[in-house]
Amino acid sequence: MFGKRTWWLTGVAALGLLAVGCNGGATAGGGGESGGGESGDEILLGLVASQNGDLKPWGDDSVRGAQLAVDQANLAGGIDGKKIRLVIQDSNSDATQGKSAAEKLASDGVVTLLGEVASSITEVMADVAVEKGLPLIAVGATKTTITTKGDNIFRVCYTDDLQGPVMAKFAYDDLGLRNVAIITDNKQAYSKYLSETFRKHFESLGGKIVGEEFYESGAVNFAGQVTKLAQASPEGVFLSGYFNEVGPLAKAIRGAGMTDAKLLGGDGWDSREILQSGGDAIVGGYFCNHYNSQEDRPEVKDFLAKFNDAYGAEPGTTMGALAFDAAALAIDAMKRLAAEGKEINRENMTAAIGSTMDFKGVSGSITLEGMGGNPPKRALIVELTREGQVPAKSYEAAEVLGS
Amino acid sequence: MGLELYLPLVAAGPDFSTLPQQLTNGLILGSIYALIALGYTMVYGVLRLINFAHGEVYMLGAYTALLVSWAFGFAPTSPGDPKASVLVLAVMLLASMVVCAAVGAVIEYLAYRPMRKQSRISALITAIGVSLLLQYGGALFLPASPPPTISGKVDPFASIATLTLSPPPADLVDAEEAARAELAARETSLEQTMEAEGVRNQFDLSPEGKEVLQAKQAAEREVNRTAGAVETGSITIKLPQNRLVILGTVVGLMAALWFLVMKTKTGRSMRAASHDFESASLMGINVNRVVSITFMIGSALAGAGAMMNATFTGTSLTTFYGLLPGVKAFVAAVLGGIGNIPGAVLGGLIMGLAEELSVWAGFSGYKDAVAFIILIVVLLFRPGGLLGSSKVEKV
Amino acid sequence: MKFWTVRLLSVAAAFAFAFAMQGLGSVIGDDYAYRVINVSGIFITLAVSLNLINGITGQFSIGHAAFYQVGAYVTGYMTLKMFDPGGMHPTLWLIMMMFVGAVAAGLLGLVVGLPSLRLRGDYLAIVTLGFNEIIRIISTNIPEVGGAAGFNIKPKIVEPWLIWMLAVICIALSRNLLKNAHGLTFWAVREDEVASSAMGVNNTRIKVVAFVVGSALAGAAGVLYGHFEGFLDPKVFGMQQSFIILTMVVLGGTGSITGSALAAVFLTVLPEYLRDLKDPTGNELALNGGGIIGVFAASILMIWAVKRMKTMFPVKGRNRSLAEVGAHLVPWALVPLLNAVLASTPLAANTYRVSELRMVFFALVLILVMQLRPSGVFGHHEFSWNWLKSLFSRFRKEQTA
Repeated sequence: MFGKRTWWLTGVAALGLLAVGCNGGATAGGGGESGGGESGDEILLGLVASQNGDLKPWGDDSVRGAQLAVDQANLAGGIDGKKIRLVIQDSNSDATQGKSAAEKLASDGVVTLLGEVASSITEVMADVAVEKGLPLIAVGATKTTITTKGDNIFRVCYTDDLQGPVMAKFAYDDLGLRNVAIITDNKQAYSKYLSETFRKHFESLGGKIVGEEFYESGAVNFAGQVTKLAQASPEGVFLSGYFNEVGPLAKAIRGAGMTDAKLLGGDGWDSREILQSGGDAIVGGYFCNHYNSQEDRPEVKDFLAKFNDAYGAEPGTTMGALAFDAAALAIDAMKRLAAEGKEINRENMTAAIGSTMDFKGVSGSITLEGMGGNPPKRALIVELTREGQVPAKSYEAAEVLGS
Repeated sequence: MGLELYLPLVAAGPDFSTLPQQLTNGLILGSIYALIALGYTMVYGVLRLINFAHGEVYMLGAYTALLVSWAFGFAPTSPGDPKASVLVLAVMLLASMVVCAAVGAVIEYLAYRPMRKQSRISALITAIGVSLLLQYGGALFLPASPPPTISGKVDPFASIATLTLSPPPADLVDAEEAARAELAARETSLEQTMEAEGVRNQFDLSPEGKEVLQAKQAAEREVNRTAGAVETGSITIKLPQNRLVILGTVVGLMAALWFLVMKTKTGRSMRAASHDFESASLMGINVNRVVSITFMIGSALAGAGAMMNATFTGTSLTTFYGLLPGVKAFVAAVLGGIGNIPGAVLGGLIMGLAEELSVWAGFSGYKDAVAFIILIVVLLFRPGGLLGSSKVEKV
Repeated sequence: MKFWTVRLLSVAAAFAFAFAMQGLGSVIGDDYAYRVINVSGIFITLAVSLNLINGITGQFSIGHAAFYQVGAYVTGYMTLKMFDPGGMHPTLWLIMMMFVGAVAAGLLGLVVGLPSLRLRGDYLAIVTLGFNEIIRIISTNIPEVGGAAGFNIKPKIVEPWLIWMLAVICIALSRNLLKNAHGLTFWAVREDEVASSAMGVNNTRIKVVAFVVGSALAGAAGVLYGHFEGFLDPKVFGMQQSFIILTMVVLGGTGSITGSALAAVFLTVLPEYLRDLKDPTGNELALNGGGIIGVFAASILMIWAVKRMKTMFPVKGRNRSLAEVGAHLVPWALVPLLNAVLASTPLAANTYRVSELRMVFFALVLILVMQLRPSGVFGHHEFSWNWLKSLFSRFRKEQTA
């Protein structure tokens, strides 16, 4: 056994570590007090991302996308000669740690917060943002109510209020489906909202939801659920989860005899891996997305080329483009402030981001002026073919929600 | 009063024509659980240690299968069109088992062996630490974002086998065939219209073209309706052939395990160590060797399960891939009586059946909870699990 | 009379401490640091209450997050639906909610604990784990509390002093349970159930009491967490959370209240501390693949070296202490070494910032502490003034010798 002396030393070391930790936090907090974000000749832009945990694939992509936007801005000379620094904090895919990460960034003195991919983490980040008067641009949080938390909460993605109805309208009007089943990932809030809005809109159009089954992300076996759904013989199946499970689900659906059912989904499908995991079963499926790599718009081509240069591959998920847009939007606001000769601080950034008009993002044009934080976005419906993703149809927000 | 509430439930409730299919699903799912549960139960039998890192060994097995399949040219980026063959599958299976066995042995040697004389709760925390280390550390070195998938092309057994227990009435089948013929005609006319209008995307058709499209969609719905009638009018069991491969492999591996444990000298020393670790070592059994072998066998079985699950379902791999199957298999092991090998198999099968039956009864949202509820109920009546002993023991 | 003076003074000191922690926020002036401090306060309650179940009566519970969640959810929902801002002072309401949450979690503890006590160690463990999952799955299936999306608690009631008051109460309760004659029965149950029942101890009663009190305290902690955070997400209360609480107890030394409390603080602060690690030049610390291999190699070498030193210096004393400190520290030189040496190899293609690696380090710290101090940092020991005095006198003796 150890001598008492040794563990006394260990204890002191631990306490020392604690003291340094608190100390470090306290000194770093100096910048936050002033509410300004210009430490020396740098402007700090904060990003909360899930670099650990089960959302890591999306978190990694959002880090890459945001970093690309910042690097480009710095290459082009930064803002009035000042460099922008992207400060990244990990949320470990967890709301409690995500809130700590946001608090940390706030006390480091960032002028704008970017992130998160998941709605639950964005929700607690929004609390911090509202408390600190710090603008927040959500990357992939599609939960509708988040932006109602304050005037300084924005997002670059569309909301579930658009995505679900778009797919419902597409399924009813364009594919002519009347009886549709739903499979929901019970563990993901994203999936549950999407299923709910889809169901509501599809039923209001006159369609029938013939069954809903559930699984939890991480599941491998879906034989039971699809066997049950096959009895209702749906003409289409709406899979609202993430691509990790959608591919295997598609295989299981075909395996249970639903060979003719059309498969539909949301932006959680977007990944080059879905064709790999779904194989022939997923081919012919349609999903709703923010953009598509086959689009002709210059923003898309430019983004994909630069992303490829920087990281040697196309973004693995749609979050690469969304995080790029979020960061670029914040940088655009900084540029406008600099051009007007205004100081770049939290209040001015909130106003500048809030007055964004027709910003040309990778995921389409973004207007935040007078929108309560939710840009009216275009929703793109993408078809999966053997060769890859092909844009099939696009909807403007007004087209769907106005009706 | 009670009856009125109950009746609609019955009307909307389980459909007995799918029961055989669901039981088969449950049996196959359970066989995989059993395979992983064996690793938990064997290690527990010898060391009285809950090896929480077992799920992570399973995860590494799935990754090994992925990397081997890439080496055979099944990577998404690799050129050419490799052919699926049983040989590739066999190499993947073997590689997963070997790598997992090695990983299991290394974990035991580095992390658990020094803890053997310590309290069991410290060993448990070490196991949790190893599990976290592999989950988070693995993500640094293994391809994880986007989560990769083993290509479906590697699987030569993807076609579906159908076993008909009660055939559908002939008139329903005829109706489906007629509907399909109608659909084929509509599809041809749609193709002609699209060619005539010169559009590639069916959503860009002119209003007249849209009518042709809608007629085709109506035909599709009719096919669906008639096919559905055939489906509900018959009782069949549909299985992708690869499920049968899984079942066969699991049975084969279990037979091999039974032979090893019951018929060989190593097996005898394993049983001795499991019965009484101290006395076994006094009797001249090299307990370190026995423990290593136990870990290797248990891990190899997990590797086999992982390879088959990852390859035949096509799930995306992350370093958290082993978390859920690991917990389920652990529950299965405890359900059967942890430390008891036949118990693990029984527990696995019960878990698999219970899950699929709860889906069948319409509670897929509570599928994962059902496993635990069964476990708790069983433990209340048999505190040592179904086949385990229940002597009092302190932590 | 002395008895009451001590009592009153203790209570006054507890309040003074709690309000000092409340005031700390404005002294530090950094919301982030203050948040981490308060979160660690919640974890002190969780760890110490689990220690009551796990360390003191020796029942193997690994589903503590279930009780934490029940406290948070039940009262969060009540605040959302029933709180009337004009009616009751928020602090008073929060205190009332603490009792409600404690009772709810305590009742669940009774439901879980009573039948489970027939089970031996590992079986109890899996049953508690099972309850943890069942509660989480049920909560994700109830739309009234937001299902998988969780729900916002409005209004947020943030009273850091209550967090610390609860921590103090929890520690005092645990300590007093052990100090009086009842406490001895707790230890007896832990050490040997057969012997203690032979001595006339009602094992079942003791176990149930410990289980219910521990669960109730965790429920109260959940209440404070929910109202502090203002948002509840079912994912926060999964198995992983239970494992972390259990880890705090074991790392600190199973059965040691001091150990549990300090480990709770340490394990909450460690991942946050790693967010902000700088290298000597002031840049964010980053390692390449070689450096990470160095970390693993150094860990293995350190364990080996520490054990080797013990056999090389069988006699305790200055030499042994120096050798041990050396064995703890020297292997870490491998990290910068391999980081530099392997920098030109393909291994160094990726660099990882320490803030990305923090969960890896967290896991590594767990394993290392268990290997080097299997009975936890504090073992069975507790902090006391006498112990501190003896430690100093021993230290001084060695200095003069």
